[in-house]
Amino acid sequence: MLILLPQAIVDGLMIGGIYITIAIGFSLAYGVMHIIDFAVGEWIMLGAFLGYYLTEWTRIEPLFYLPVVFVLFGLIGYLFQPVIHRVLSGKKGNPLLMALVFTFGLALMFKGLGLTIFGFYSRSIPSNLSAGSLSLEWGNFFVTIPTIRLVGLIYALTITVLLNLLLKKTDFGLAVRALAQNKEAAGLMGINAKRTNSWVYGIYVGISAMSGVLIGCTFSISAQMGAKYTVLSFFIVVLAGMGYLSGVPWAAILLGLVQSFFLIYFNPGYTLLAVFVILYAVLLVSPKGMFGKGV
Amino acid sequence: MMKRGLLTVMALALIAAGPALAQDRDFYKVGVITSLSGDLATGGNVTKRGYDLWAQAVNDEGGIEIDGKKYKVQLFYTDAQSKPDQGASGAERLATQEKVDFVLGPYSSGVTLASAPVLEKYKIPMVTGSAESPLIWEQKFKYTFGTIPPVNYTGATPIETIRSLEPTPKTAVILGSNDTFSKATAEAFQAAAEEKGIKVLKFNIVPTGQDLTPFMSAVKVLRPDLVAFGGHDEELINLVKSLRQINYTPKALLMHYGVTEPAFVESLGADAEGVFGGSVWTETVHAEAEILWKDAMTYAKAAEDAFGVAADYTQAGSSTAGIAFQAALMKIGAAPPLSDDERDALVQALEEIDLKTFYGRLKFATEGQYYHANIGITPLTVQIQNGKTVIVGPEKDAEADPIYPLKPWDQR
Amino acid sequence: MKNKKTLIFCAIMAVLLIIPLFTSDPFVLRIVTECFMWVGMAITWDVMAGYTGYLNFGHASFFGIGAYVTAILMMKYGWSFAATLPAAGLAAGLAAVIAGLPTLRLRGAYFAIATWALQLAIMQVALVLNITGGPDGMRLPPFLHPEFFYYLMLMVVAATFLLLWFLLERAPFGLKVKAMREDESGAMALGLNPTLIKTEAFVLSAVPAGVFGGIYAYWITFIDPASVLADIITDQAMVMAVFGGLGTLIGPVIGAVLVYAFKTYFWAYLSDYQVLYLIILGAMIALTVVFLPNGLWGTLTGYTGGKKSLKKGVGLDDASVDDTVEKKGAEHV
Repeated sequence: MLILLPQAIVDGLMIGGIYITIAIGFSLAYGVMHIIDFAVGEWIMLGAFLGYYLTEWTRIEPLFYLPVVFVLFGLIGYLFQPVIHRVLSGKKGNPLLMALVFTFGLALMFKGLGLTIFGFYSRSIPSNLSAGSLSLEWGNFFVTIPTIRLVGLIYALTITVLLNLLLKKTDFGLAVRALAQNKEAAGLMGINAKRTNSWVYGIYVGISAMSGVLIGCTFSISAQMGAKYTVLSFFIVVLAGMGYLSGVPWAAILLGLVQSFFLIYFNPGYTLLAVFVILYAVLLVSPKGMFGKGV
Repeated sequence: MMKRGLLTVMALALIAAGPALAQDRDFYKVGVITSLSGDLATGGNVTKRGYDLWAQAVNDEGGIEIDGKKYKVQLFYTDAQSKPDQGASGAERLATQEKVDFVLGPYSSGVTLASAPVLEKYKIPMVTGSAESPLIWEQKFKYTFGTIPPVNYTGATPIETIRSLEPTPKTAVILGSNDTFSKATAEAFQAAAEEKGIKVLKFNIVPTGQDLTPFMSAVKVLRPDLVAFGGHDEELINLVKSLRQINYTPKALLMHYGVTEPAFVESLGADAEGVFGGSVWTETVHAEAEILWKDAMTYAKAAEDAFGVAADYTQAGSSTAGIAFQAALMKIGAAPPLSDDERDALVQALEEIDLKTFYGRLKFATEGQYYHANIGITPLTVQIQNGKTVIVGPEKDAEADPIYPLKPWDQR
Repeated sequence: MKNKKTLIFCAIMAVLLIIPLFTSDPFVLRIVTECFMWVGMAITWDVMAGYTGYLNFGHASFFGIGAYVTAILMMKYGWSFAATLPAAGLAAGLAAVIAGLPTLRLRGAYFAIATWALQLAIMQVALVLNITGGPDGMRLPPFLHPEFFYYLMLMVVAATFLLLWFLLERAPFGLKVKAMREDESGAMALGLNPTLIKTEAFVLSAVPAGVFGGIYAYWITFIDPASVLADIITDQAMVMAVFGGLGTLIGPVIGAVLVYAFKTYFWAYLSDYQVLYLIILGAMIALTVVFLPNGLWGTLTGYTGGKKSLKKGVGLDDASVDDTVEKKGAEHV
């Protein structure tokens, strides 16, 4: 089975790629706004269905719609953020918990709306890329890279790089980082916290919605899919260290590799058990994520 | 203070809102327990459609005829929310609040297993139109029946069909998702394959909802002739996508439930072509009925008109659950409301039923591991051909030759 | 003050005790029994969230462990039901000690996710083991006497309530816990052992949950991983507690009763609108958080999170307490 080693690594990377896309936006939002958003999965679901309907209506390659989905959901997030801000800035109670329960309510609502509008059946977004693969076969040895998953990985890495550039090289990024470090001081330096937070939330919602489209091309989508991706997204962000953006790709790929190795080399029935146990163990050894850099 | 007040208000509201006891009524009260929300909502809603369609058809005919008088049926729903405890609460509500005459049962085995004891207690018969797990029938509930045979009864047929094809498939990889039904399906496939001399190279139960691409890579190395998978709709779609993405086409690909669901073909398009499935009913199956819809096609048309979606065997089985009660009631001639004795007689009548329906022959087993499951029906092997579900086995029921081996993904 | 509270408690208990005399409707008894169970789940969850300041996302683990212990002991080892309940509680408590010692070092969201991961891991274990029946779950012999479960659940939940009330509101333990929540290092400086106190609180919230699970298994007659180890169990307890108001015992009780009554009414009489129910419940939760951030009870009573007891308990002067609380609050997010 050593012959499968390259394939196991490739498969793990590809799963990791998808995980990056669902977690990177959330990590950004957490780093800046300190919000645990239970509705991540629902943003992904809504984005996926927008992609599905756009593709059904126009029969154009869905990946071209990524920017449309991003802009639309970015706008929704931007406009929505003040409500979240209100919850987070409450003087009373525990804001972390309040935001969590608030977004839990949102998630239920979105799921209900999704079921009402989209119905119960699973769908897939028809993409020309989802059929093909790049493969190298040589007797019994092979490495196959599904095109759509490769696109997903490239997209994920691009987003990661772009976000990093945005944070490190622009004035906006400076404001965001200042805000993440110290709210009051940033306010004194003349940073408009509300506006910046709205942008960040918009970016996060936009990215999550876009990853929904990719998921729809790679797997299938349904109105009830949200919860599954919320769990995954939480786990990756926590494993990476909450708010530590650069940790996300590594955490995502680690979880991808764990799954692919368990499925190929060990008892596939224990795959998810392994994922949860590893997550738990990492947190015990390194309480602030695998790099110890979470906030 | 507040707590007491609220509780009292709640208790009072519930008592007050409960419908008044109906004494002499001229319609049957039919309870429906099914999961309209939660993880099993897809299947639950298909079940509901089947029950609704039956009730509508019966009422369109004026009702069920007892001693020259026709009695309509009225359905009382309870949503099990895919949770066994809610199923049990629902059963209790139907029994004590609505005082239903009989019950059309839930979609999943978990909910069935939790509601059945409650209905036994009130001696209310239940026929379920969609529970396919062998587990239910092993419990030997006296008041519980099912119109779809359990998967350990039907699973062998598609394997037999595939075994008879040329070139003969010699090896197989069999996997199942880790839920009751899918696991039982995979085990049924495994047992049948071993019995028919197909070598099972790999058998695994995998976590529900798992991305199976890496697993399929491991399968690709083994190059099995047959890949058989027990799972639910979304998982089946994802598995086909995985196989296509890693570009491995086995000679035959077998799944069970879900292949016949409209979403399968709709989602996969050309990639759904040639996938085998197990079924007990399709709209083209040959069945001449003595009751209600005269054949499968008539039923299919009625379903399409009512819901705009093609009917699958779960929906047909659910409608047949209604027919089972209808026939049994006519036989014992019991007008609503049913007394305890009449309900016991109803169970007796259900046990004795042997009926031709649009769905096929209906006959419940009265002993053994299939106790109270419908074993009158012939399990079918189906295949997706040109976007339609076509019967390809067993030979006497086949309408077309199987497509075999599968056309490679990249040549579609 | 104290007498008045006792009086109210006794009055409520008296009413609850005689309900079965007025209605023998098994359905009413069944849903009130379930309501008791959720009251129990909500108050035990609040021990961690409200009193100790730790978000336990894996409360379902204890419930599920209790349910499985009862089921396994009854079905595989022939124990009587009554004997399994202490075992269910004990097992849940043991799990809390084992899980608590390492995880309680984690903070905020990390603790939340770690407990969640643990719960999902336990669910996976239940799915792959033979003794738990895997995905097929376990069937218990039906014992369908609604009054029995009504009284049993009522007794266990009432006992839990009294125990928590005594320990958290009357005994020194409660003050220690609250001191810990507000300022862990401060409490340590006063000679308290945070690890010990936190673990004790964790066990205190776990043991009753395990007992509820045990009762649930025998009552519902069927358990499987999807029904007793599901996220929804934790989520529901959490929503009830937050809706009612954290950091008190009465808040979660009110939250549980209201949310449960709404949910059940909708479920029983508006079954056709299940999806609408999701939307309304979701909106209700979101609106509560926006407009009543202290929950119903907190808003009604002006209770703002344990400052008073802290002042009394640790004897710091007012100004410095307020300061610590504010600072802590800011850091914690």
